[in-house]
Amino acid sequence: MDSRQNIKRLLTLGLILLSCLVLFFAQGFLSSFNIRILNLAAIFVILGASMNLVLGFTGMFSLGHAGFMCVGAYVSAILTMSPASKELIYYMEPIIPPLANVHWPVFPAIVMAGVVAAFFGFLIGFPALRLRDDYLAIATLGFGEIIRIIVTNTITITNGSLGLKDIPSIKSLWIYWGFAIATIWILKQLINSSWGYAFKAIRDNEIAAEAMGIDVFKHKLLSFTVGAFFAGLAGALMGHLITSVDPTMFRFLFTFQILLIIVLGGLGSLTGSVIAGVVVTVSMEFLRFVEQPINLFGLIIPGIPGMRMVIFSLLLLMVILFYRQGLMGTREFNWDWILDKLGVARRKERGVA
Amino acid sequence: MEGYESHIYLGEVNGGTMFKKKYVTVITLLLVAAFALAGCGGGGGEKKDAAQDAASDVIKIGVYEPLTGTNAAGGEMTVEGIKLANQLFPEVLGKKVELVIVDNKSEKQEAANAVERLVSKDKVNVIIGSYGSSLSMAGGPIAKDAGIPVIGCSPTNPAVTLGNDYYFRVCFIDPFQGTVMANYAFDKLGAKKAAIIQDVQQDYSVGLNNYFEKSFKKLAGEDAIVAKVNYNTGDKDFSSQLTAIKDKKPDVIFAPGNFTESGILVEKARELGITCPILGGDTWESEEFLNRVKNTKDVYFSTHFDSTQPVTEMSKKFKEEYEKAYAGKQVNAFGALGFDSYILALDAMKKANSADPKAIRDALAGTKDFEGATGLITLDTNGDATKTAIIKKVADGNFVYEGKVDPK
Repeated sequence: MDSRQNIKRLLTLGLILLSCLVLFFAQGFLSSFNIRILNLAAIFVILGASMNLVLGFTGMFSLGHAGFMCVGAYVSAILTMSPASKELIYYMEPIIPPLANVHWPVFPAIVMAGVVAAFFGFLIGFPALRLRDDYLAIATLGFGEIIRIIVTNTITITNGSLGLKDIPSIKSLWIYWGFAIATIWILKQLINSSWGYAFKAIRDNEIAAEAMGIDVFKHKLLSFTVGAFFAGLAGALMGHLITSVDPTMFRFLFTFQILLIIVLGGLGSLTGSVIAGVVVTVSMEFLRFVEQPINLFGLIIPGIPGMRMVIFSLLLLMVILFYRQGLMGTREFNWDWILDKLGVARRKERGVA
Repeated sequence: MEGYESHIYLGEVNGGTMFKKKYVTVITLLLVAAFALAGCGGGGGEKKDAAQDAASDVIKIGVYEPLTGTNAAGGEMTVEGIKLANQLFPEVLGKKVELVIVDNKSEKQEAANAVERLVSKDKVNVIIGSYGSSLSMAGGPIAKDAGIPVIGCSPTNPAVTLGNDYYFRVCFIDPFQGTVMANYAFDKLGAKKAAIIQDVQQDYSVGLNNYFEKSFKKLAGEDAIVAKVNYNTGDKDFSSQLTAIKDKKPDVIFAPGNFTESGILVEKARELGITCPILGGDTWESEEFLNRVKNTKDVYFSTHFDSTQPVTEMSKKFKEEYEKAYAGKQVNAFGALGFDSYILALDAMKKANSADPKAIRDALAGTKDFEGATGLITLDTNGDATKTAIIKKVADGNFVYEGKVDPK
């Protein structure tokens, strides 16, 4: 058993080194287009993992994710934009004085974005988490929309529907994937802690969990707030990736895009969210070729815009019909499984030892 | 958990799941194989394309427009205009022009991806797009970093070209449109009191109203705006807003917004007995809006183009060819703007006598009195077009040319 433990540690270390190496080479050799797609994938990984914590691990059907992203994106944007460009962009009504001269570095601003989003999550979760199932979904959906409408109407803070631009741009893969990996690690630690077991207990049977002495409300609120924190983080990163934000970006349809990722990946599997997040984002770009005119042995098919989405719909349909658990179900990536698959040799080794 | 249960009670179902698992594995493998194959194919094709470029000298013009999603209708009209221009003028500098059209799904992150793809993967010389200011704002900085000039067809928000030397546009901007309508209301309609209705969620509506308000106040005095009410995109009931306005008895109502909401709003206003003229912006020029307001009068809006009053030789040509190419479709302003963006790009290349993006940018910046389908276009230092605005009204169940306003 000991040798297996060591092998696993070595493998983990190797994987970390390998990912660093991959990131290093990707940063150096990939085109700016590919890097952008990978960065977007990292954002969707964070979104998928954090929504999975709320929906897949704690069993709360919350649809407010886009709203928290909106908060995060705006907080980070307002904190990091230079006072000069703020003056230029708020041309309808000037921004209120305390915010006009704020000029933070990017990193603390992104973390702050998460904190503010978490605070909003806490405020919203407090009344809404007394609801269950569909009612919770409706309430959180409503709150997500309320956040967006508030942002649209507070023109002296957010510039309303005109949106913000000239947000400092971040292009480095290290930052996006750094945040993504940190998110996964923190969520994994949380899920494997006693808190995490309580989350799963609540998901499987709320009444039984309560009978076992779990403070259901407290745990739900924690899960919801942590989910909102990472949604805010992802929203901030999204702002820095696109360098402009406006309220229409965060319509509730956006939440369904994240939902697609976690359903495909498996409700209750971080690994699934990571895989699906990357696959969905990358193939969304990659599948563009189906919208181009195709020449199939002399038969010319004109390009139809929207074909990409049809493919995703079919994929989702198949998953729902034939494979409800999604790609990973509730399983996680784990070395034991790989070692077992690699086969007899390992077992023999262990037997000898 | 599931596996455990089925193990005990449901042997058969377990077999079923096994089957399904195999099934899914096969599908997944197929998908992966398909991706991999297509990936190789795509990669190979790219190289070939690059080789071909060097040999046959193709000039690529990238187009990013919303072809799906909420703005699809506008994007499609624009692309029709661009394609038509490409058919009429397929060559420049003795080289063939190839259009690379990508969909941006009416989403910001997709718009950014699309532009990144055009500049770094397809290596286009110049880009056209996009319908929708927020989409253009997402694409702008990427094109700027890559040093590729962009010609916007119909993003009217001033912020699009602000601080971006590589973004130009062939349409006029919100401030101009708002100002034109304020002048028109004051001078031609003799209005002394105006009411404003705005869709707070649309930058377009908010921007136009802002400039209308400023100009109208300058013309008719500080208290000339008697009411200012808001609504949200998607609203269907405007009776409370309209009742509030009716009591104030304005001479004119300015209500730019999406054609869907605006159509319902105008219809309701007439139903409530509000008879004063109602003014709007270029988005109103659509079938949906016309169908709603057919039977009313005194509805005016500003737009870019009118097919009955060709401003230039190019307008005539555009109209004739458009009707030939897209029989049964109304000649529209967005098609005309797409058309203009394309011929402006070609003109810039001719002037620069080069397809080098930097040279194209410099040539574009010096555009003066360029003859487009939508009128004479001159680009100012921001890259915004100063050009004639057309005013149309609704009469006899159709949009009718009312007059034009030249820039000052």
